Amino acid sequence: MSQPSLANAIIKRPWLKRWLMPMANWYADAAGYRKLGLKADDLIPEESETVLLALKRLPPKEAYDRVFRMRRAFQCSIAHQLLPKSEQTKPEEDVPYLTPLIREIEAETKEREDLEAMVVARRK
Amino acid sequence: MISRSALGRNAQRALRRQCCVQPANRRGLAAPASGSFQYETGDASGVKYASRDMSGPTTTLALVAKGGTRYQTLPGLTEGLEKYAFRATEKRSALRIIREAELLGADLASYHSRENLIVGAKFLRDDLPYFVELLAEVATQTKYLPHVYHEEIIPLIQMAQKKLLASTKQMALNSVHGVAFHRGLGTPLHPSSSTPYTKYLDADVIEDFAASVYSKPNFTIVSNGAEHAELTKWVNEFFTDVPSQPRSSLESHHSKYYGGEERIAHGAGNTMVIAFPGSTSATGGDYKPEFAVLAALLGGQTTIKWSPGFPLLAKAGSKYPGVDIDTKSLIYSDAGLLTVMLHGSAKAISGAASDVVKAIQGVASQIGKEDFQKAKALAKFKELEHGQDVAAGLELTGAGLVHSNKAYQLDETAKSIDKVTEEQVKKAAAEMLKSRASVSSVGDLFVLPYAEDLGLKV
Repeated sequence: MSQPSLANAIIKRPWLKRWLMPMANWYADAAGYRKLGLKADDLIPEESETVLLALKRLPPKEAYDRVFRMRRAFQCSIAHQLLPKSEQTKPEEDVPYLTPLIREIEAETKEREDLEAMVVARRK
Repeated sequence: MISRSALGRNAQRALRRQCCVQPANRRGLAAPASGSFQYETGDASGVKYASRDMSGPTTTLALVAKGGTRYQTLPGLTEGLEKYAFRATEKRSALRIIREAELLGADLASYHSRENLIVGAKFLRDDLPYFVELLAEVATQTKYLPHVYHEEIIPLIQMAQKKLLASTKQMALNSVHGVAFHRGLGTPLHPSSSTPYTKYLDADVIEDFAASVYSKPNFTIVSNGAEHAELTKWVNEFFTDVPSQPRSSLESHHSKYYGGEERIAHGAGNTMVIAFPGSTSATGGDYKPEFAVLAALLGGQTTIKWSPGFPLLAKAGSKYPGVDIDTKSLIYSDAGLLTVMLHGSAKAISGAASDVVKAIQGVASQIGKEDFQKAKALAKFKELEHGQDVAAGLELTGAGLVHSNKAYQLDETAKSIDKVTEEQVKKAAAEMLKSRASVSSVGDLFVLPYAEDLGLKV
């Protein structure tokens, strides 16, 4: 997918998660995309077959909202402005909507590769 | 045949091995036939199943569901559901299902008829548990994902439409069913290219339909070449979480025969179908074996070499080279159609069609004694051969079990054909001519005749 991530390793260790969560929240907020009304998944680079396919599989409403958010952010960027506080993305709205689809497609590809590389043993 | 002396010893041996493939663990002596034509039936807590243990190394297993185009609630549903068979389930992906089946050397198929949806597999006898499990998965755990619908199902439906559009025979048959039965049985087998099916169809709607089709009262498992005890065991084990009631009941009003004429212009060929009300299937309420004999008597396709044979329409057609005549008694659970299909050049069809009608009128008044004997023998042979043909037998049996809780027993049907008398056939032909005919012409409408011109009542 997009970027390598330690998230899984951290989530597995509750003590580490508890320790790092405030920092993660601060980081996500400081990254600034929420102030333009975007979600984290809007930032995933589109230039790969997997992501393109995932985008195609988005439900129509999600796809529409995504385009809307992007155009709004683009407009803000050109005007050198941030959105008013009420229109900015709230932390609880910043949920992965594209990542599950990408993971699914990656699993499909991996399964195909595994099956291609399979060695067939005769049944005993 | 090739004379024996013409072949070397090795070739002979190879030939012998080819024609009777036997598993290595079987004795080379003549093995006793382990089963008969009779299906054994059973019931695994609501799931009906039937099996016939034909000796042999392979098994055919099918799930026959009451989900044909007749029962679809929206256009294209059956087609959509059929294409969803063997797609991703909760346990495995579509790719894995295909690869595993390939590794076992199996053949997966799903298709539908007017009344039934059939999801089946052919495989080696030992793999029975795997495929019973697979069919159970297909029935109860298929994931009806929207992206599969958009990426795979729709292109397949469009391909089926193109195939239908290219075949005048299919178009004419669909049209004649529509004319004869209007809704229900008259629903076309595939959505035609101008059917606005995208307006009605999506993954959720198909899932809804699946929940009705794959429920205990609406499907059966039929197998050919599996031990009954074995099948009982596996069906009991795998078909446990099948819903006992359909989500919405699949209703189709009792078929009523209407009749009429439809003409469709087509550039790629010419087909004319003349149809009359016929007999229901043997498991249906109104079975008339005389229609099987009548169909054999009218015929059209010769079954022997170098001669048009005895069938009356074959003789009539031989005067018009370039026309292909075929008579069939199409049977359904509560109605039937006797169809005469003429296919070929428009000129030949228009010539042959009037002769066909004359021949049918002739049957109503008089049948040659020898022709009748021949027709009866041919009808019986065709019936038995049809039942022996595994795929056809599976569908008939499954449908019989779903619709009327009776398996289709070939031996009985053949016996009832034996009892048909000449009078019965004459009467059937006369009654046929009295009712309105259904006529469909597809092709060059400038040349193809109207039903009125042929002397038919429509």
